Amino acid sequence: MMDDLLSGGALPVLQRLVQFTEARQRVLVDDIANVSTPYFKPRDLSTASFQATLRQAIDRRRQSANPAGPLDVQDTRELRFGKNGIETSPNRDNQGILFHDQNNRDLERLMQHLAENTMAHRTGLELLRSEIAVINVAIRERL
Amino acid sequence: MFGALDISTSALVAQRTRLDVISANVANRDAIYDTEGNYAPFRRRIPVFATGDPATGNSQGVHVTRIDLDQSPFRKVYDPGDPNADTSGYVDYPNIDPAFEMINAMEASRAYEANITAAQATKQMIEASLRLLA
Repeated sequence: MMDDLLSGGALPVLQRLVQFTEARQRVLVDDIANVSTPYFKPRDLSTASFQATLRQAIDRRRQSANPAGPLDVQDTRELRFGKNGIETSPNRDNQGILFHDQNNRDLERLMQHLAENTMAHRTGLELLRSEIAVINVAIRERL
Repeated sequence: MFGALDISTSALVAQRTRLDVISANVANRDAIYDTEGNYAPFRRRIPVFATGDPATGNSQGVHVTRIDLDQSPFRKVYDPGDPNADTSGYVDYPNIDPAFEMINAMEASRAYEANITAAQATKQMIEASLRLLA
């Protein structure tokens, strides 16, 4: 009963979202750290492919016998969804054409991705918090 | 999640080292004697960055792998009265261009700021996650 409560509904989806933003944060921070390293190729995790994978998993669950059951997300080339986190092998971005060492040094774009990622993480956490609040209300049996 | 902070910190250390090297270059722009008092014009130092962080053993992050000496020719100053002047009356001065150093210093401090911002973003994420538990 308790297991269904925590592994069903929106909770696992939000959990995957938070895990993904944390993994992506590590990649983006590494890119920013290496902004003046020669021959470093910036990397990134594709948000579009993560969202597509998540959407497929949600659709599959909806069509299955138990629509409130656990979420089974399929691994992609970039992301491997473990029980307690996401392992990543980020893609290298396109080569820069301005510098000889092909490190394109798009600091502006990196900072934008960082800001977006922080916001996505916060969104996931806020939604997660309201889900937990609902469970709390159910446990206390009063509003 | 804390690993992301290590990565930013490694970059802060590396960029600060780079600024230290630049300061030393600018400070020694007219130094033509070494610490023992021998005639040896200061050569420009070049910090070389590489990925990875030996302090944490992490493959992500950045560190200064070595500090190279710039082998470009010294600046020649015509001063026949100087005891170090060569036969044509020229003295070698350090091969340091202040404008060049200033540009590098600006780049280093911008990169430093970018990493501070990244560390702040990571900190906010960690704090938000911790509030979930409270």
